[in-house]
Amino acid sequence: MFRHYKGIWMLLAVALVGFVAFSFADPLSIGGHELKKSSFADVLAAETESADNESQKTLAPETVKGTDAVVEKKAQAEPDTVPKTILFIGDSMLDGLSPRLAAYAAENGHTLYSVIWYSSSTERWAESAKLTSYINKLHPDYIFICLGSNELMIRDIKKKRDGYVKKIIKEIGDIPFIWIGPPNWREDTGINDLIAGNVPAGSFFLSNGMSFERRKDGAHPTVASAALWMDSVARWMPRHSAHPIRMDKPAQGFKARPKRIFIHQPNER
Amino acid sequence: MVLCSVIENILDQLTFKEGEPMLFSSGLFWVIFLVFLPVYAALKKRRRQMTVFVIAFSLFFYYKSSGWFVLMLTATSIFDWVLSRLMERTDTRWKRRLCLSLSLLASLGILAWFKYANFFMWNWQQMVGGNFEPLDIILPVGISFYTFQSVSYMIDVYKHRVKTTRTWMDYAFFLTFFPALVAGPIVRADYFLPQLEENRSATKTMVYMGLWLIILGVVKKAIVADYLAQYNDLIFVVDPATGIPAYSGFETMMGIIGYTMQIYCDFSGYSDMAIGLALIMGFRLAQNFNFPYKSRNLTDFWRRWHISLSTWLRDYIYIPLGGNRKGTARTYVNNFATMVIGGLWHGAAWKFVFWGAMHGAGLAVHKASRPWLGRIGDSWPVKALSWLVTFMFVMLLWVFFRADTFGDSVAVISHAFSDFDVAYAMPFVAVRWLWLIIMAVIVISHILPTDFWQRAAAWFVRSPWIVKLLVFVVVVQLVLELQGEDVAPFIYFQF
Repeated sequence: MFRHYKGIWMLLAVALVGFVAFSFADPLSIGGHELKKSSFADVLAAETESADNESQKTLAPETVKGTDAVVEKKAQAEPDTVPKTILFIGDSMLDGLSPRLAAYAAENGHTLYSVIWYSSSTERWAESAKLTSYINKLHPDYIFICLGSNELMIRDIKKKRDGYVKKIIKEIGDIPFIWIGPPNWREDTGINDLIAGNVPAGSFFLSNGMSFERRKDGAHPTVASAALWMDSVARWMPRHSAHPIRMDKPAQGFKARPKRIFIHQPNER
Repeated sequence: MVLCSVIENILDQLTFKEGEPMLFSSGLFWVIFLVFLPVYAALKKRRRQMTVFVIAFSLFFYYKSSGWFVLMLTATSIFDWVLSRLMERTDTRWKRRLCLSLSLLASLGILAWFKYANFFMWNWQQMVGGNFEPLDIILPVGISFYTFQSVSYMIDVYKHRVKTTRTWMDYAFFLTFFPALVAGPIVRADYFLPQLEENRSATKTMVYMGLWLIILGVVKKAIVADYLAQYNDLIFVVDPATGIPAYSGFETMMGIIGYTMQIYCDFSGYSDMAIGLALIMGFRLAQNFNFPYKSRNLTDFWRRWHISLSTWLRDYIYIPLGGNRKGTARTYVNNFATMVIGGLWHGAAWKFVFWGAMHGAGLAVHKASRPWLGRIGDSWPVKALSWLVTFMFVMLLWVFFRADTFGDSVAVISHAFSDFDVAYAMPFVAVRWLWLIIMAVIVISHILPTDFWQRAAAWFVRSPWIVKLLVFVVVVQLVLELQGEDVAPFIYFQF
């Protein structure tokens, strides 16, 4: 009986060992293309829940500093009423956020450009020159970012992503920006804390903890829910943002499109 | 400390998490199957132990997908089996009917509660004009599939087509058999139980044919369907304020075509994996898909699409309703009613009822026009036209499966035609080239003669071990390269 199963068992086992080992190993490139790894290492070596709680305890003040603490500090900041050229970059969450931000832009005289890079992460953006390229091309004077949704489960997030987050912020330079945190559908391993700890005060909107009506995939908010999400960001900005701009609320359901939408596929580098 | 953390993570993976069913194409299942296989092989010849082991594994598999609903599945199996035994022991007709009725009432009652309670209450409230607050009911994964298996078993026992199993364990093995538990194929007792009785060992050919089917299923599901879904998910979003899809008519049309291929690859991929796993274990499950998009009429389509469901509907609804034995008009009505029920089986919403009704109407029209169709010959233009009409009909009706509501479905279809502009074609090709390549691969796989796939399977089975390993590794790496960050569950899990 074992005879027939020996071959297939060995095959599955050898392949499994290979993929597990590769998931722990350094990245491997073939012809300039970096091979993707399985998540075995992330799953096996993820910090346990208790460890997560510990890390949250230590990082929580930073989160507060990045969001709530700025409430008092920036409460007096006067909104900049000059119409802006806004660049909105990020992952697939922009599908829901971007139309509503476009409505705000239309209502307040801003010009919006959206760059949607599906399945992208801080790593993808930092390692590509796309952000700098769009900044040079479009000359935005305000930037919105929504990134982090694809990095909720990364093990050793600080070690792996800290450099990328810093690089993105460096690329942004002096341009005022708001980083909209991922709409957590599961507890993250620290991406929110990491972003909040890196951005200047009043530049991070923590979405974790908000209630969303989700699409069938269980992750993306529905169009209506994403519009409310954007409304929350706009409502948060006057009192909490380090650099508030005019964000008068457009009529409910008001539909607008960004001046231009740039789309990048998941496999682009 | 590190070891403790690893163990804790492994245990965490084995615990039920809502919305995270265990997929055959996941790394977790791969690891668990590696543990399962040698134990199964060791116990295969000890029938009782093997049965207990597989039931335990199947129940764990179900627990991982549906949590403590596993107790309901176990209770259903015990209740059915006891009633089936009582039914067999008596010749009194009313007692047999009572046993059958009780079983059907329990099985279909549970299904009705979990799947249709909110739907019926909502419709009732719409009629009487009250406010409706939906009940917080979670649909157990795969309940529609195992309920149909339970119903067919009890009816077959009642009609003396199948003998009851001697032990509850044999029945539980049949009902909870993990390859087919959560999304079919719907296994029939008369086909499956004799195999359990014989308990034949899998031959080497069966084992590697099973692996081939699993690889094929992974390609269809985890590479093709999941990649296409990344695009289709965008297209089917309708702005609630305006009722218009966010993308152009051309892109919407591509999304509709894409979903047509996605649902086929998703579901037939799952079926391939289920059949492959069963084959490795020495059990043959009936074919569930046979290149359905090659069909040139709707009748042919339903002989090729979800075959285990269409034959179930035929045997347990259409024929009991009278089939084609009660005149032409009644045949059409029976056909129509069967398809409406089939639509409702897929989901508790009017869009599914409409989908089923349209298929029922389409089948009736095809049957009615057969004499006329027979006279126009079978030249290639006729073949091409009949294929095109069938494909378009099936494709547009899939929109009702995918869009969130009936209204959204209508909006998507009308937008695809009213806003259609070929000017979008070139930008689409430039941006979605990989999507197009994958679509082309699906089309080519349908155009290739069926025996090509048989030859490919035979080649794989005969190929050296190292070649099989290489094929497997390449496919897994391709999955990693193309998958989105979130693994999409099988579409048919929701049914």
